[in-house]
Amino acid sequence: MAESAIRSATVHAGAAKAQRAGEKWAPWILLAPTLVIMNVVGVYPLLHSLYISFTGAKPTDPNAHQGWVGLKNYAEVVSDGQFWHAVLVTGGFTALSVVSSLVLAVLMAILFNRPLPGFVLMRSLILIPMLVTPIAVGLIWRIMMMPELGVLNYLFGIVGLGPFQWGSSRGSALASVVLVDVWQWTPFMFIIIFAGLKSLPRSPFESAQIDGASGWQTFWQVTVPMLKPVIVIAVLLRLIDAIRTYDTIYIITRGGPDFVTDVVSIYLQRVNFRFFDLGYGSALSWVTMLLILAVVLIFVNLSGFLRIVNEKEAR
Amino acid sequence: MSATLARHKARERRRAVTLWLLAVSVTVFFFFPVYWMFSSAFKTDEVSSTFPPVFTFAPSMDNFVHLFLEAEAGKALWNSFFIVTIATLLAMIAGTMAAYALARFDIKGKNAMAIEILSVRMLPPIVSVIPLFMIARWLGIFDTPWLLIAVYTLSGLPFVVWIMRVFIQDIPQSVEEAAMIDGCGRIEAFWRVTLPLLLPGLAATMVIVFMFAWNEFLLASLLTSSDAKTLPVIAANAIKPKAIAFGLACAAGVIMSMPVIVLVLMMQKYLVQGLTLGAVKG
Repeated sequence: MAESAIRSATVHAGAAKAQRAGEKWAPWILLAPTLVIMNVVGVYPLLHSLYISFTGAKPTDPNAHQGWVGLKNYAEVVSDGQFWHAVLVTGGFTALSVVSSLVLAVLMAILFNRPLPGFVLMRSLILIPMLVTPIAVGLIWRIMMMPELGVLNYLFGIVGLGPFQWGSSRGSALASVVLVDVWQWTPFMFIIIFAGLKSLPRSPFESAQIDGASGWQTFWQVTVPMLKPVIVIAVLLRLIDAIRTYDTIYIITRGGPDFVTDVVSIYLQRVNFRFFDLGYGSALSWVTMLLILAVVLIFVNLSGFLRIVNEKEAR
Repeated sequence: MSATLARHKARERRRAVTLWLLAVSVTVFFFFPVYWMFSSAFKTDEVSSTFPPVFTFAPSMDNFVHLFLEAEAGKALWNSFFIVTIATLLAMIAGTMAAYALARFDIKGKNAMAIEILSVRMLPPIVSVIPLFMIARWLGIFDTPWLLIAVYTLSGLPFVVWIMRVFIQDIPQSVEEAAMIDGCGRIEAFWRVTLPLLLPGLAATMVIVFMFAWNEFLLASLLTSSDAKTLPVIAANAIKPKAIAFGLACAAGVIMSMPVIVLVLMMQKYLVQGLTLGAVKG
């Protein structure tokens, strides 16, 4: 009886040890599929595109030199006025869109942070724009913005404004695509910031009230500092997506009129797939990627994003 | 005294009503275009192109009939569904495994790996299109669903890994250890104890990954030519050189958007945490 108990105990200990020995490889087995997919579908094409960027690849032009050209493509990028114009447009578009949706989202979060009848329904309706397929967003706004038939000019006409040319005039095209982007992605910022606002502790607000702070003072000295981590995360995610906006601009203006909305992703698509200038296009893509990386890193450093994330981990 | 109190109360009420009206107008701003898309989908082109626009009309199913009979939307719908479902499942399985490894095991270079996985999320898709295009030609999988499945699995992975890592970390390790002391292996402990607790998180993550792949246009338009076209690609065709096919565009928009709207509104509770890669709790 006792003997068998001892034997089963040793068997158990042995099994546990074997299990732990086997577990040495377990994390790597678990990570393997992800690493394989990332390297085969992600990293390998990237390195391949780095190689292409040093060649004159242009499948539509058999007479062109398709082989190694060294840094020629990169030298061309530096003096490509159209590209740097696109970079400026992208910068303007991103800054306008991110800042306006941030301001709007914060105001909305504060507005909705009180008991309002019909709140649940309103919040669900406000969420919908970020769920609509971007192509559909582009189509519906393009239809609504038509100068002669569009419902927007009709509605503005009722209150005596307009008619506006929206996406079809040089002056208002960029503002129009920014408006669409703000409409689509403010809900995303809003639900994140709203969730952050809801999770703030009550006591700092109460002590601010006791100290006789005005609403404005409370906002800048209590609410904003406490919301900062959430705002940083929301802005970072929005920034990454706004820089690569393609779908809605492609549908509404295609970069026009006169290239005023020609963002980098539209320009890249044109170089690569209309002119099939693959070598040069790859060099442009790499420069773009490095620029985006620089912007994101600058933002990450200035905002202390990593500190915020690590604090989350530590908790 | 009571007069000032009454005045104060009246002012409070006016303020509440003003704020409520403000909230309603914000809601109208965000919802009106969606409403306009849904209502235009049921208008004939004749009704759509009248000015001033009409708000009441006899609904017609013409656009949907036309979309499925002539614009090949049926096939595109199937392609979208097939490609996105398979890619989502692959990303969920591979990503959850990786997330478990990152959350529960002590591995060297763990943070570097997490950052590397996240940087896939930052990559502008246009950068890898050219090599993917060339590789796909070479492998003979251009314009087949498999190419887009591979691409969407890749773009879904970082989300799954980051979000599921946070969800798994939220479940105390002791729960699993208790099961392991009771004689379960690690796999059995995960399957019987951790997985059921993870289900809501898994569902929310799946909905988000599904949404991004379902809505994707750029890669779908460049990596397909006819057989593997997805819904957004077909919908973009509603723009003709000189005009827009109103009804067709709106009907396609409705069909594309409905699944995502329904799925996400069902999962609202976990949406914020999912969208912020686990960093903000909703």
